[in-house]
Amino acid sequence: MEVTQAKLKAIRERELSPVENVERALKRIKKLNPKINAFIEVDEGALAQAEAVEQKLKRGRRVGKLAGLAIGVKSNINVKGLRATCASRTLENYVAPYDAEVVRRILAEDGVVIGMSNMDEFACGSSGETSAFGITDNPAAPGHIPGGSSSGAAAAIAADLCDLCLGTDTGGSIRNPASHCGVVGLKPTYGLVPRQGLIDLGMSLDQIGPIAPDVYGAALLLEVIARRNPNECVMLDAPDTGYTDKLKDIDLRELRVGVSPEFSKLTEPKVMKVIDSAVEKLRQLGAEVVEVELPHIEKAMPAYYLIVSVEFFSATRKFDGRKYGKRIEDVCGDEVLRRILRGRYISRKEYRGKYYQRALQVRTIIRQELAAALEKVDVIVGPTVPKLPHKLGAKLTPMEMYAYDYLTIPANLAGICGGVVKAGEVNGIPVGLQVQGKVLGEPAVLQVMRALEENL
Amino acid sequence: MAEERQREIERSAEEIVESFVKAAEALPSERETYYSQEASNVTRPDGEPSRSEERLDFRKRFIKIMPGSDEDGNLRVEVAKWK
Repeated sequence: MEVTQAKLKAIRERELSPVENVERALKRIKKLNPKINAFIEVDEGALAQAEAVEQKLKRGRRVGKLAGLAIGVKSNINVKGLRATCASRTLENYVAPYDAEVVRRILAEDGVVIGMSNMDEFACGSSGETSAFGITDNPAAPGHIPGGSSSGAAAAIAADLCDLCLGTDTGGSIRNPASHCGVVGLKPTYGLVPRQGLIDLGMSLDQIGPIAPDVYGAALLLEVIARRNPNECVMLDAPDTGYTDKLKDIDLRELRVGVSPEFSKLTEPKVMKVIDSAVEKLRQLGAEVVEVELPHIEKAMPAYYLIVSVEFFSATRKFDGRKYGKRIEDVCGDEVLRRILRGRYISRKEYRGKYYQRALQVRTIIRQELAAALEKVDVIVGPTVPKLPHKLGAKLTPMEMYAYDYLTIPANLAGICGGVVKAGEVNGIPVGLQVQGKVLGEPAVLQVMRALEENL
Repeated sequence: MAEERQREIERSAEEIVESFVKAAEALPSERETYYSQEASNVTRPDGEPSRSEERLDFRKRFIKIMPGSDEDGNLRVEVAKWK
């Protein structure tokens, strides 16, 4: 039985109390966080929340799906009474006055929020090195970057500081750190999970999703947070899905798995070797592996950085220091300033549709290409990140840093789902397999991830 | 130093724009995709208003984080600086 399922069973059968579980998490954070720096803030009220769940269990009352699990929340999601800093000096004293919709759903299912995880400043980064609250180490490969931007969330799961985490993914920010830290991450289909209460990076691309130690944990957290919110404009009217139920009796013999030759052109051979072994395992498990064409996949990255810069520039205009916080341009780090200036530059030059409008056309091409490929197969599998994580403190140019995102960005541009599960290691450093699925194709994605988790 | 940083950042900002122009030059024209799914929920339902204690709690919490308030607890903002 997987870690998450076993822990939930122990809590429900009163072998482990929610208070003991949360106390254990808090002790591990106290001991390990000074080195890993996965959490920016710990919730002092977590034990009281755990006590309330424990009282329910003692009285034999119904408890929710997340009963007593310790949950970390990325610092760009509002949790009432905790600081939603976006790991930036701009919002360092911003204490959220309300709960985001996803947090409300977690609390309603008796999950216990234990703190706010570290991240790249305003989710602008793929390394976990741009936080104003310090860099995050990679517990699975100490001394290397954990990936980003949900750096603290992936590191927290890898170091067993909590049971589940919420991350966000705009161009790979859940999948990239999940791959580098050897944990499970899932970017849901755009519009499946409410964004209300999330501080935007790129509003047409951002999705909140789970990071977990196992596929069951990711499926469970997704099950809790995925549902239409009638107060949001851009939401799919998707039916409630029991994602954990879909993990029973998996049979890959009916499944068609796509692979693209473009992936190996963009990826380091030693990473590709691990991925090829995982694909071979899927074949051995009965899946039919077929080649799909994605000829323009590498064009997604520059188009994405144009789109996200314009949307980020627009989203940050409210951080003028008048209602709360400090004026963003006065205190932000280099990458955030780079994106703001780029967004402003493009917005000013956007008089003939030369840049932003053109990038939106490229987005259409990528979307059509992925949709055509996913007509032929159930999922597309390949590497998550083209290279291994660099050592903390190594100097990379912005373009070298953006190259980490080549393979994760297309799913955001197309609005499809994508998950990551550990496929193996290169010299002790984890390598994650990315499984991309159709719009609302999360069940198939989770099934492939689970099959690999069980058999690798 | 600040000017040098600004110049370096502007240079790298232009670099990605140029790389995009180069990457996109051979691609066909298409319609634009603003959102990957169509917006389907443009009108919000009429719901119950939030309870007065919730509104008071929100107001109290909001006042705590705002940079300035007048004697009645209203948000005090600075008039924008013209540049």
